[in-house]
Amino acid sequence: MSCVNLFFKRGISTSCARYGKRNFRKFPLFNKRGSKIFKEQRKDPNYDLPHDKRGVRDIGYNDQDGKFVLIPEKVPEIIVPDLKDFPLKPYVSYRTPDVIQSEFTAQDLFNVVYAPKIAKDFQEEKLNDDGSPVEPSPEELMTSEEARIKAEQTGTDLFTQGC
Amino acid sequence: MRLTQILLSKIGKYSKDFSNLPDRYINRAMEQVEWKNPKGIQYKANTVLKRRKFKMGMHRPWTAQFREDNSPGVSHDKVWVEPIRKWSFFRGDRVEVLVGKDKGKQGIVKQIFQERNWVTVEGLNCVLEKMGERKDFAGVYLQIEKPLLVTNQVALVDPSDLEATPFEWRFTEDGEEVRVSTRTGRIIPMPPSAEETIDYKTKSTYKEQPKDTRADDVVQITFEPQLKTFEMDIMENIGIKEDRIPPKSYWY
Repeated sequence: MSCVNLFFKRGISTSCARYGKRNFRKFPLFNKRGSKIFKEQRKDPNYDLPHDKRGVRDIGYNDQDGKFVLIPEKVPEIIVPDLKDFPLKPYVSYRTPDVIQSEFTAQDLFNVVYAPKIAKDFQEEKLNDDGSPVEPSPEELMTSEEARIKAEQTGTDLFTQGC
Repeated sequence: MRLTQILLSKIGKYSKDFSNLPDRYINRAMEQVEWKNPKGIQYKANTVLKRRKFKMGMHRPWTAQFREDNSPGVSHDKVWVEPIRKWSFFRGDRVEVLVGKDKGKQGIVKQIFQERNWVTVEGLNCVLEKMGERKDFAGVYLQIEKPLLVTNQVALVDPSDLEATPFEWRFTEDGEEVRVSTRTGRIIPMPPSAEETIDYKTKSTYKEQPKDTRADDVVQITFEPQLKTFEMDIMENIGIKEDRIPPKSYWY
């Protein structure tokens, strides 16, 4: 006759972890992962593996006292225009025929902005001997210093690549 | 890019035409990644372990049954498929069944399975399958069309005399490629249902919904080239003026 086990005991098996996979080659240690010492070390901003921001950009910095200083320019301000009576909607109707447009290159932009004035100056002989125009337009008057300032002001996409 | 091209070539164009699903979704639904590098800075190159050979059957690749048939542990025998250079059977085509108990009968093509060279003909070559049998429930019988091989089990029907005929692809005087019956010499026109998808019968009869941009609005080209970036244009429109001069910075 089989006896019933009236004493319920719990056991902790340690052999599972020993038999399991221990592949630590690809083991990203995000913010709550890792040992206590590792997390303490991470608090130092100069440590090799800093606190993972997870893609969020800081809107300020921590000064020497540890207090957080907000930089208003870093706070993103999303400007959304009023979309009432706007003809373009999220989806496109299946009825649309294929629209093929050629690539709009920098050369095309030049042809639209600068080329007409240059051609007109040349025909009316309003160019000096070295080729510079006699009546320059605002774009043609811009110096390299002005261009550098413009390239660093708001609205430029020189180094931001549209982000 | 190469991997997605390999995946894309696994599903024929006409097999996924009717579903009207984007390729990106189909690939994402199909792939079963067993292991992939976790997100974050990695010091070893990315490895992706996933299934490369799928068992193509009656279930479409984005369905749950397909996923079950192709789950990680499941292996299947090699299925030999004759490569067809030009697919010639479209939804809505009248075809004659040449084998089975419905031999000699004509029907209309309903589904296309290009990866296995199969077509399903409406109402022909059916079997009865019992579904949902339980202790208290007898189960329902469903009439399911079994697929037919395009190469030798099905033949296109010439619409002029409604007889099975071999055919060829030839060019008209306008340069259009059409199927021509070799027996009679008549053109077998492309059926109008070939354009049909789950969303619309034909593109021109599609009813535009409130969230759809109308076709006339899409086709309009309103781009005016200006020497401004997108942000500069918005600034000018709203009236934001940038007067601040940034201090000089130096690179060492």
